[in-house]
Amino acid sequence: MSVEAKLIVENLSHHYPDEYTGESVHALEKINLQVFENEFVAIVGPSGCGKTTLLNIIAGLLPYREGQATVDGVSIEGPGPDRGVVFQEHAILPWRTVSRNIGHGLELQRVAKDEIRQRVQEYIDLVGLTGFEDRYPHELSGGMKQRVAVARTLCADPIIMLMDEPFAAVDAQTRITLQDELNRIVMATRKTVLFITHSVEEAAFLGDRCIVFSRRPGEIKKEIKIDIPREERVWKDMATNPKFTHARDEILRLVRQEVTTDDE
Amino acid sequence: MMNDRSSVSRTHKLKKFVTDGAGRLIIFMTCAVLLWAFFSVFIIERPDRYLPSPLAVILSSADMIYKGSLLSYYSDTLTRLIFGGVVGILIGIPIGLMLGLNRTIADMFYPLMNFFQSVSGIAIFPVVVIWFGNSDTTVMIVILYTSFFPIAFNVLSGVRAVPVRYIQAARTLGASRLQIVRDVLLPGAMPSVAVGTRLSVGFAWRAVIAGEMLAGRPGLGNMIFSGQELDNTAMILLGMVMIGITWIILDHYLLRPLEADTIERWGLVQR
Repeated sequence: MSVEAKLIVENLSHHYPDEYTGESVHALEKINLQVFENEFVAIVGPSGCGKTTLLNIIAGLLPYREGQATVDGVSIEGPGPDRGVVFQEHAILPWRTVSRNIGHGLELQRVAKDEIRQRVQEYIDLVGLTGFEDRYPHELSGGMKQRVAVARTLCADPIIMLMDEPFAAVDAQTRITLQDELNRIVMATRKTVLFITHSVEEAAFLGDRCIVFSRRPGEIKKEIKIDIPREERVWKDMATNPKFTHARDEILRLVRQEVTTDDE
Repeated sequence: MMNDRSSVSRTHKLKKFVTDGAGRLIIFMTCAVLLWAFFSVFIIERPDRYLPSPLAVILSSADMIYKGSLLSYYSDTLTRLIFGGVVGILIGIPIGLMLGLNRTIADMFYPLMNFFQSVSGIAIFPVVVIWFGNSDTTVMIVILYTSFFPIAFNVLSGVRAVPVRYIQAARTLGASRLQIVRDVLLPGAMPSVAVGTRLSVGFAWRAVIAGEMLAGRPGLGNMIFSGQELDNTAMILLGMVMIGITWIILDHYLLRPLEADTIERWGLVQR
């Protein structure tokens, strides 16, 4: 029995008209990508390389014409709860408390109230927000808001969790904590994740596989396997982990090539 | 010891009274009335004609309360305000919402809305009088017309100003169009609904006063108008004070608590 990938992207290219000049922008070129069950795939690349475009297409927020994208064999046509998205920032609703934000997906699917309450509490505990159930987002720190966003996505139980630079807007100290926590959460929930980032360290720390994008038009430049068991992925041990440092240096070298050719 | 503690708690109570919304309001009002009395008694010559003192105004109201006319004027005006204003707002919210949600509808109706918004309630008054005579219906229609536009335009722009991110997030959670309206666009437009309501009620107030004057319907507006004709300045001031105080009360006990429970609680606006 062959293992079918959860997410399959085949020969996906994308062009869009520039908002001001109207010229056609070539964002993605023939992307082929597979994400398997329980796998954590990180996509890293210079800014403007089309990685967010790819995520928006997979999320169903951006229509595409060239190529194929399927989740569990179903062609992607518009957004759906099978693909949960954690956005960079400012995406949880200010008029809902922490628990009502987290339960929003289940509420939309008309799940029974008791079950929602139970599941929400489970995820609140998982992301470490116990005691903050009835707070509103404006009363939370940036890091806590992103925990809410992660819990909201997981609580709706998607087939794959898409993350678009979720920790880019929080301070460095919080980011490290959140990365450690995300590892623990992914371990606990065994979720399949596609993670977009421009941070080389983050990609190497979190990804089972790391895909490096070229400059625009975004193409897959190289794929790097990072064979570190998830239990061993803790920031304080990373500096002395040769597998990590090797992968990080390799990714950094690849990304640098893209950035420096840009400067010439 | 005992004495000490009670004096501390007394100053604390005083401080709380001063910083509290209602306390501040009372202090401000008292100062305003004192200033008014001071001008009336010591500065102005012939105050009965130019600026009657607060006491004279109250005495004139006592006379009118006794005759029963003040209360009936007041309730007439309030009824018009509430019916016209509430209906205007209740029509304005869904129409603003519809225009905010649908570009095509908005493009069709926007010029029309703009046209009528620039034609003030007073300007359409003569036409309405031709249609409905000098009646309560006329006054009500003018109030409704005047209060409709501020709320409709504010809801329209409020819906459009809801960040796309929120809508996208709801869509990826599986929200339908209707669920997006209910869970994202309506609460997201609340700050504008609040501003629009405030403006609409304010405009409705002006329309009710002007409408009563022009149509000659009994009410506070008419009372002010006839005060000038009868050379009864106290009556004019009485009308003004009652309008102002009513607005303060409406604002404090109706609009502000509504805002405190929604947009302020959500951190969308700062107090």
